[in-house]
Amino acid sequence: MSSTTPLLTGKSKNDKIRKTLGKVIHMQSFDYFAPRTMTELHQLLHATAGKIIAGGTDMLPQIRNTKQSPSLLIDISHIPDLRYIQENKEEVLIGALTTWSELLESPLIQKTAPALTQAAAMVGAPMTRNRGTLGGNLGNASPAADSLPPLLTLDAMVHLTSQNGQRQVPLHEFLAGPGKTTLKADECIRQISYKKVNPPFGSVFMKLGARQGMTISIASVSVLLTLDINGKIALARIALGAVAPTAVRCPDAETFLLGKEPSTALWQEAAFQTRKAITPIDDVRGTREYRYHVASILTRRALESAYTLLQE
Amino acid sequence: MSENTLIGKPEIRVDAWPKVTGQAEYVADFSLEDVHFGYIVRSPHPHASIRRIDPFKTLQMEGVLDVITIEDVPGEKMVGDIIPDRPVLAWEKVRLVGEPIAIVVAISKHIAEQGGKAVEVEYQPLVPVFDPVQALEEGAPRVHASGNLVSHIEVQDGDTQAGFQQADMILEETFHVPRIYPGYLEPEAAQAQWNPDGSLTVWVSSQKPFHDRHLICQALALPEEKVIVRVATVGGAFGGKEDSSLAILAALAAWKTKTTVRLVNTREESLLAHPKRHSGQVHYKAGFKKDGTLVAMQITSYLDTGAYASYGPAVGQLHSEVLGGPYKVPNVRVDTYVVYTNSPIAGAMRGFGAPQANFGTESLMDIAAGKLGIHPIELRRKNIWRPGDRSYTRVRINQAESLQLSLDVAEKEYWRLKNIPPAPGKVSGVGLSLSVQTMGLGYRVPDDSAHALEWLPDGRVRLYLGAPELGQGLMTVAAQITADALGLSLNQIEIALLDTSQVPDGGVSCASRMTYSVGNAAMTASRQLIQALIKEAARLLDIEPALLHYEKGHIIRQDRPDLAPIPASEITSRLAENGQILKRQAVFSFPYGPETPDHLPIGMPHVLFCFGAHVIRVEVDVELGTVEPKEIVAIHDVGKIINRATLEGQVEGAISMGLGYALLEEMKLKPDGTWVDNLTEYLLPTIMDMPPVIKVIFLEVPEESGPHGAKGIGEMGLTPVASAVANAIYDATGVRVKAIPIRPEMIIKEK
Amino acid sequence: MQLIQVSLKVNGKKYQLETPPNRTLLEVLREDLRLTAAKDGCSSGECGACTVLMDGKAVNSCLVLIGSADGHSIETVEGLHKTGAPHPLQKAFVEKGAVQCGFCTPGVLMAAKALLDQNPDPDEEQIRMALAGNLCRCTGYTKIIEAVQEAAKELHHE
Repeated sequence: MSSTTPLLTGKSKNDKIRKTLGKVIHMQSFDYFAPRTMTELHQLLHATAGKIIAGGTDMLPQIRNTKQSPSLLIDISHIPDLRYIQENKEEVLIGALTTWSELLESPLIQKTAPALTQAAAMVGAPMTRNRGTLGGNLGNASPAADSLPPLLTLDAMVHLTSQNGQRQVPLHEFLAGPGKTTLKADECIRQISYKKVNPPFGSVFMKLGARQGMTISIASVSVLLTLDINGKIALARIALGAVAPTAVRCPDAETFLLGKEPSTALWQEAAFQTRKAITPIDDVRGTREYRYHVASILTRRALESAYTLLQE
Repeated sequence: MSENTLIGKPEIRVDAWPKVTGQAEYVADFSLEDVHFGYIVRSPHPHASIRRIDPFKTLQMEGVLDVITIEDVPGEKMVGDIIPDRPVLAWEKVRLVGEPIAIVVAISKHIAEQGGKAVEVEYQPLVPVFDPVQALEEGAPRVHASGNLVSHIEVQDGDTQAGFQQADMILEETFHVPRIYPGYLEPEAAQAQWNPDGSLTVWVSSQKPFHDRHLICQALALPEEKVIVRVATVGGAFGGKEDSSLAILAALAAWKTKTTVRLVNTREESLLAHPKRHSGQVHYKAGFKKDGTLVAMQITSYLDTGAYASYGPAVGQLHSEVLGGPYKVPNVRVDTYVVYTNSPIAGAMRGFGAPQANFGTESLMDIAAGKLGIHPIELRRKNIWRPGDRSYTRVRINQAESLQLSLDVAEKEYWRLKNIPPAPGKVSGVGLSLSVQTMGLGYRVPDDSAHALEWLPDGRVRLYLGAPELGQGLMTVAAQITADALGLSLNQIEIALLDTSQVPDGGVSCASRMTYSVGNAAMTASRQLIQALIKEAARLLDIEPALLHYEKGHIIRQDRPDLAPIPASEITSRLAENGQILKRQAVFSFPYGPETPDHLPIGMPHVLFCFGAHVIRVEVDVELGTVEPKEIVAIHDVGKIINRATLEGQVEGAISMGLGYALLEEMKLKPDGTWVDNLTEYLLPTIMDMPPVIKVIFLEVPEESGPHGAKGIGEMGLTPVASAVANAIYDATGVRVKAIPIRPEMIIKEK
Repeated sequence: MQLIQVSLKVNGKKYQLETPPNRTLLEVLREDLRLTAAKDGCSSGECGACTVLMDGKAVNSCLVLIGSADGHSIETVEGLHKTGAPHPLQKAFVEKGAVQCGFCTPGVLMAAKALLDQNPDPDEEQIRMALAGNLCRCTGYTKIIEAVQEAAKELHHE
């Protein structure tokens, strides 16, 4: 990493190198490092107050509109160790730099976390999916982030790394508020993992946006159901997005479902129970009342759909 | 004429190849050599007095050339498209968020922006007003010292009091339409270069380069010959680029610093500061007889023109003329109030007041139909203009038979769509709306289009097209009409760069009349050019012109049929050797005959109408309230199809804009008090928001004053969409929405 | 002001650049390499006018930090011509009337190319999904879809 004389003028030692005129720069100034290894990353995080950038699809717009003003950006997109989708006997492990497109195209994710696949199909547009990373989606912690409801239903763990070592934290503890996480200043998200659920299970993700393409969720839901040998509900997980400061599970609705016989009325009541878990707000995309309404309807439909999948 | 006519052929656009190869140059694409950048310091307040503007810190910054304020404006400090109510740069007061106060000129955009942030401006915030009805109340904050009423347009015909007495049913309804952003993909941009001889060359992305020149000259106190405006490739306009403010600021910056200065708006600046479509509240009182005859209408409309008038008064006029729809209304009173508020400026935008009128009027017709127990199609059929009828502005309606034709075609489509069952879990509904759009700028507003043609030595013909190509296909249609008139092929036509010092004033590219006006001027100029060629040929051959005959680029001697035809290039190259050129110019003036009613203010009435109908099928998810357009049939009478591909492109694009108007778009104040200023919140339709089926049907009822009978299409495709969607939603759900954009909450709430 | 060294391949040609890091791939393409086909429509990844291919995948170049592009291979509209012959997509867009003002066109072309490179025979739904991030205000998208379908057919026959 070199630093030389100011832009616009200056002669380069190496004539092959193009110097920029730098006339049209739109962004605030910042220093930049691109570590190539985990060790370099750890050192940088330890020694500086740098902010991590991966795909940049959330970070760069925030830098442009000065919601964020980092003096140093640490670009982790060049670290090969952080991009993978793997499994062992019990779990699926996703490297933090895995993109939405990679999630969408992964047969392993489709098999073990179909709700995450569905979410990936509905996030943004191809260009954002090709750059946006799962680690970034978690780190940005938007209340409307679409990866969070599916991962919450899987009781996902967030693996954090720093010079001081590794730690794991359940996703729901990692999320602290709108745009806030419990990530420490010297830490980076390394991996997201979840335990595989024994099939058969039914898992569905649904979202409602203001338009059909490239849309932020007004409300989103992810459900996961399994049945016992008597056909009663053995496992019920419901997570909602965009209707609370973070994506949330709905413990009351889940408890209500356990051990019960599936029916339309049951899904309806469970959907109603989700009200207790959420605190939607008015914003430019929708009103509070509408969000309560949508959350309930989407939950009911997702449960119906998940149950239908179980019957196939 | 000849069987090889180009008219009606879907010729490939003449400007398409440079656009698909990336060679087409928009203002922001020009070379950066010696270019300086401007950053505009803008007001963060919707309404405030300015106490102090201090650029001292900025002027000390390295790389900053200058900070330009109102004091640097040598000429007119106030400009405007109709009313000169807008300061070139604000000095004592700001009236909207985003209003320009100063321009920082620097060697890079980055430095200019840093410099901009360092300019100290002291504001005293004032109470703003954002609603046009409130703005007219006693004690409302005054946006301008002259008061908040910009204009009050009154149109009257017959006797509404007597009319309502005849009515068996009287309806009163109020409709709300939102402020809309034109949403062209290319944000506004201008680049001005100061030349050593004291002249300025200004590159613009604009619909009206000659008017830009005029306003620049006014502001800089320069004679017309000292300012040359050139039009770059324009990345969409839709009325929003009928505003000269950025061109004036770039010219001012270049003139003051004696350098080249480029100004490019960010998307945020474009959303906040550049003109929009007027939002409005329209109150209708309509009286019908039992059998559906419309007997009286009384309409009061409030249009919010925002902080500056822009084209507001003219929008109000056109709006007032079409509020009655394409219907015989014997007794009418229309009062339209164009009002200042501290909202973003509203000005020209595709439709120019007609979409705002159409939403209410066509919704009202369906409401009336329901109350009267008459089918909406029948109710319209009962009341539409017939040949020989006059509007309530007392204009004889042209091609009134188009209305009956459009309705007949629409009816068939309506029943076809009604028979389509909805997808599981959805309900289906079909809605129909009639469209009326006017052409031209209005009576007694100068509306001339000049057009010049030059026959080049190599036999090709150069078009000096004086009205800009905006993407709508004007260059192609003009070239096609010209080539056809000259019997040449399209690739023998060359189009000159639009440089105000080189081409005649072709008029502003707007008002659905470019094919019409430019086409007519081109045909006249072509005829004159052919005559000139014959005359020159006769002179060179030393024979009587009557013995010569022109055909497809060649001169043929009637007296010597054995001789080969003489290509035009032989004549023009001979002339060129003598330093002569063969060039002709023609002007087409928008026709207003002696019978044009003259009882209305300047700008009214419009005398040429375009008609059409839309039929839309939607599916509604009644639990969520979401609406999906499934099929749109757009029927439009274009008089004569010149180029089907460009016509379809215009209608398809207008439909997407109309769907945005109906379902998605609104420039509004958010709960936190800031304006929507980005594309995450201002939602433009994506490809996935378009219905799977769009069917465009063209009717050709010739307008005899049009080139080959052609009329306009630019705006008509947008106008009826929102009302057709609203009518379809009613058909599907029984819910009548009276505001757009239609939100799911509106559909659920009423259930 | 820090400067960073970046190497990348653009349309098959290698470049070595020295630049401040607070710049995007879009800015570098347009300003340093004078490849101005990719446009800046919103600087926030919302309009797709800046779409280019990075290692064969469509990305919003306004959201790619130039440092992030280091070591990668970029394709832009300027590289679509192969030794004089236009790409079937360019030809189809011209012939089908899918170009009006042209500002969205370079971005749409690259997003469409990414689709056809991966999926040579897409159905209409797949075409819509591939272009969901490219806004167009002029065409209403109808002829864009037809042009992509036409190009797919032609590529099939090559």
